[in-house]
Amino acid sequence: MSEPGAIVRVEEVTKTYEQGRVEVQALRGLDLDVYSGELTALYGPSGSGKTTLLNLIGALDVPTSGRIAIEGRDLGDLGRRELSHLRRDRIGFVFQAYNLIPVLTAYENAETVLALQGVDAKERAARVGELFREMGLDGLEDRRPDELSGGQQQRVAIARAIAADPAVVLADEPTANVDSETAERLLDIMEKLNSERGVTFIFSTHDPRVMERARRLVRIVDGRVDGDEIRKSEPPSG
Amino acid sequence: MGWAQMTRVAWRNLWRNGRRTVLTLASIAFGLLLAVLMTAMQDRNWADMIDLAARLGGGHVTVQHVDFREAPTLAKTVTGVEEVSARALADPEVTHVAIRVVGQVLLSTASSSRGAGFVGIDPDRESPSTLGIIESLVEGEMLPSAEGGGIVLGAGLADNLRLTLGKKVVYNMTDRHGEIIAGLARLTGIVRTGSPSVDNGLALLPLNTMRQALGYDATEATQVAVFIDDQRRSDEVAARLALTLAPTAAALPWHTSQPQLAAFIAMKVGGANFMKILIAVLIAAGIFNTLFVSVTERMREFGIMLAIGYSPGDIRSLVMLESTWLGLVGLVVGALLTAGPYLYLNAHGIDVTAMIGEGNVDVAGIGISPVMKVEIFPVNAVFIAVAAFMATIAAGIYPAWRAGRVAPVETIRLV
Repeated sequence: MSEPGAIVRVEEVTKTYEQGRVEVQALRGLDLDVYSGELTALYGPSGSGKTTLLNLIGALDVPTSGRIAIEGRDLGDLGRRELSHLRRDRIGFVFQAYNLIPVLTAYENAETVLALQGVDAKERAARVGELFREMGLDGLEDRRPDELSGGQQQRVAIARAIAADPAVVLADEPTANVDSETAERLLDIMEKLNSERGVTFIFSTHDPRVMERARRLVRIVDGRVDGDEIRKSEPPSG
Repeated sequence: MGWAQMTRVAWRNLWRNGRRTVLTLASIAFGLLLAVLMTAMQDRNWADMIDLAARLGGGHVTVQHVDFREAPTLAKTVTGVEEVSARALADPEVTHVAIRVVGQVLLSTASSSRGAGFVGIDPDRESPSTLGIIESLVEGEMLPSAEGGGIVLGAGLADNLRLTLGKKVVYNMTDRHGEIIAGLARLTGIVRTGSPSVDNGLALLPLNTMRQALGYDATEATQVAVFIDDQRRSDEVAARLALTLAPTAAALPWHTSQPQLAAFIAMKVGGANFMKILIAVLIAAGIFNTLFVSVTERMREFGIMLAIGYSPGDIRSLVMLESTWLGLVGLVVGALLTAGPYLYLNAHGIDVTAMIGEGNVDVAGIGISPVMKVEIFPVNAVFIAVAAFMATIAAGIYPAWRAGRVAPVETIRLV
């Protein structure tokens, strides 16, 4: 059963899709709590429901039954506009294919969420500038995504995801499209953000390197939690 | 996201597929070129026709007996025409006034007879601004005064009567009492306007000679022709003038005194408006196509944007801003594309004499110049610009709505 104080709470969630005439049960009564500062990796075979679970936690889809709450707010109680604001203010996304907005520069991509929040330009410059320095993106501010390498794009995507200080960052296979060296660097950055800034990450992954770095491993099989292992001590908060 | 940033993003999005955007802008600009030149040609030609009709007939506003329209006989006169003329000239919009007697006449020579319309004029009070055919004198001279026995004929009429300069012609007409009167005149001049109705059917006679022949007193005439600079103001001027007239006189704007011409112009304007609507629809269709394809191509991107915190309203606004940019840039490009041809045609026009043949430029009985110039009324230029811009905005509504309806989970493989 769920415990109080979780940032992400998933209770008895089911999700059924219709693919043509076939009904697919992607999640079958899944429970999961994620706490502040965790670096959680969801793993399991393809089709086990990892992506579906991230979709639901990210308020991009709605469960067939059950309840999902972010910082105590039940997503089922929120309208479209409130869900938009929740995604903007409390959830960060890192996509497998980076998915930066192609017409924006690296800097503009990173500050997008802050701009949507109405943060003033000076504050945005300070926060994004600090992140760029931390993540080794100095000097790349004015480049468009197509002028950046895959690793650079993913770092900008991470900066975009955490710039607004979300409660949780959801990352789907964040290392899948980059080479080993770049993957290690990205994991270094995310691990550092987790340990130094207390950013909460939930990964969906097949990558052993990600699982090795995760502090918590949640195995998903057939739409249910099949294993939940705390592997390392939690980082100090803040 | 602030409007400034959103506007910047919309501008950049426009140029993601530069060729498509350029083609769309070209279609907007070409549509504007067509709409402006078509409207400008009509504005100029209709205004010219109305002015010509006014200078041939009763002015932009005609003061005549209240019953003259229904029963146009020489018994229906206006008295005190000098006072009427003075009151008209006191109106700030009135530029010229001419006092005339108009009616039908039978002209006879030893070899032929022809019916014609006649205008009794005082040549000292007429000018090309009040009587356009003065400029079309090709032989002889105008009537020397409001008295005397001179006559000026259209070239076709003179030919039909086999009349040459200095020769005599007998005129017959019905006076105010219904009696037939006759007079003798000597041909002093011949006009050739290119309009068959004028060249084959018009005679100018001295005003006072006509008054005497018809038994009018010195302040009596059938018509006071009032001229203004802008024919579109004829209703207002007529209404003001009517307030100063005796109950037996009426002030009619040109479209009332020349209903055939008004109907012709109204019909043409209606057709032209339909063409303009068609052009607006074509412009809108081009923009719709561009935006819709552009939106369809970016569904995944919109899904990503919604996932990271853009609201559906933000996405809709973004697409509408792209549509707005297309409209604004289209207007600028359209203005640049139109300026050259417009200025050239405004200054030089197109001579269509070779196409229609000399002497055939006559519409609703009104001769028009075979050189087609353009000049758009500012209000019409503004209307076209606003209509084109509104068409671009309207064309963006559905693509914007569609973009705002994107379900992120269906367009992206999460996160």
